[in-house]
Amino acid sequence: MKTDELIQLLARNAGPAPRALAARRLAPGALLGLLASAALAAAWLGWVPMALYQHLGPWFKLVYAGALALAAAWLAARLGRPAAPTVGPLRAVVAVLAVALLLGLGSWWSLPEAERTVALMGHSALQCPWNVLALSLPPLGAALWALRGLAPTRPVAAGAAAGLFAGALGAFGYALACTELALPFVATWYTLGMALSAALGALLGPRVLRW
Amino acid sequence: MSTAPFPTVTAGWPLAPGGPLTRPWQPPPGRGPAAGAQNAPRAAAPPAPPACMSPVHSPVHEAFERQLAPLWQRAQAGDEAAYREALRLIAARLRATLRRRLQSLPDELEDLVQETLLALHVQRGTHDPAVPVSAWVMAVARHKLVDLWRRRGRREALHDTLDDVDEAALAAHEPEAGSARDLGVLLAVLPEAQRAAIVLTKLEGLSVAEASARTGASESAIKVQVHRGLKRLAALVGAAPSGGDGAA
Repeated sequence: MKTDELIQLLARNAGPAPRALAARRLAPGALLGLLASAALAAAWLGWVPMALYQHLGPWFKLVYAGALALAAAWLAARLGRPAAPTVGPLRAVVAVLAVALLLGLGSWWSLPEAERTVALMGHSALQCPWNVLALSLPPLGAALWALRGLAPTRPVAAGAAAGLFAGALGAFGYALACTELALPFVATWYTLGMALSAALGALLGPRVLRW
Repeated sequence: MSTAPFPTVTAGWPLAPGGPLTRPWQPPPGRGPAAGAQNAPRAAAPPAPPACMSPVHSPVHEAFERQLAPLWQRAQAGDEAAYREALRLIAARLRATLRRRLQSLPDELEDLVQETLLALHVQRGTHDPAVPVSAWVMAVARHKLVDLWRRRGRREALHDTLDDVDEAALAAHEPEAGSARDLGVLLAVLPEAQRAAIVLTKLEGLSVAEASARTGASESAIKVQVHRGLKRLAALVGAAPSGGDGAA
């Protein structure tokens, strides 16, 4: 086949380029993933009683996970487009993580020493990251599927961004079912769970994000 | 304590501006230059410099961007003639850039050019107007080149950049080369609906409306089939290099 024949073929009736591809693919996947993890949390663990929302803890989890999900989605969308700059979204991700960790640390320092261990470990420290990871699996599938339809030229980074995004959605779902209230707990174990999901995404990226 | 997850998330990511395209092959926990070295056992050379295929570093790059950008803008808006011109420009440019990388596999050059053109077409929705189009083109080309090396089981070229151009080749504008691929053979692999949509609108040159009338499928269905078919073709072309020696 002559290259010029291919060019003729590609250009003929090509029409305008499709628009807003990244958002169009990521948004439905995100919604489905979020619903799946929230439903899974409800069915598996049961939602927390409404009275708990009088405390700061649940809101901290929801805002933290939501903000990180937005930043990571931005990053993943950029990584799905060849040569698109990633500095902005990376800064956003780092900023969200930094604020959450600082809040956790500040809260920890402000507590009397006798209460610190309880605030950090709660009653479910060792299950929390794994639960977050488990609930992030449906959104991870959706996010990787969405990225496959784009053109990630850096599969490890793109996979990690998808994993972080999924982890944040999983954490959001888990927040609806988790009764821990202390900020140090959330800043530590939720973050670890989301990092596990990001690591899983980075591992899967090169295998799944071929195009 | 709670900062532990931090490096896990960010360590392997190319943070530096201009760095993004140079090291997609390092695993995320890789720290420092050691990770690069372990991926390229033979290469004594340091990991690729940060400025890679971005078009800003040489007059040749700048000229390419200047020539291509206005054409590309019209092409993205739906101007068919501009799109054709843009693709021709890109093809010549790819040939000149990739020739040096493929000195050991000269037969693959035109294959790779065509594979990249197909990928560019299928993915043209991923070009962000804020990004120089030449940078986008070269990022896709590099992805396809790395893919080719991987299929060939070669790793040492993975850290290469596409910075330099074979300027002699660029100037010469050699006669159109062909690939060993046969479009008919490739098309025959596609599902019937996709093949029909491509043959009617892309080869026979019917408009989408005419093709829709001829086949009874809706216009949007025709467009979808064409897109899916080309996507499939791009995947086929990548999976089975033609004219190869069958090396696994």
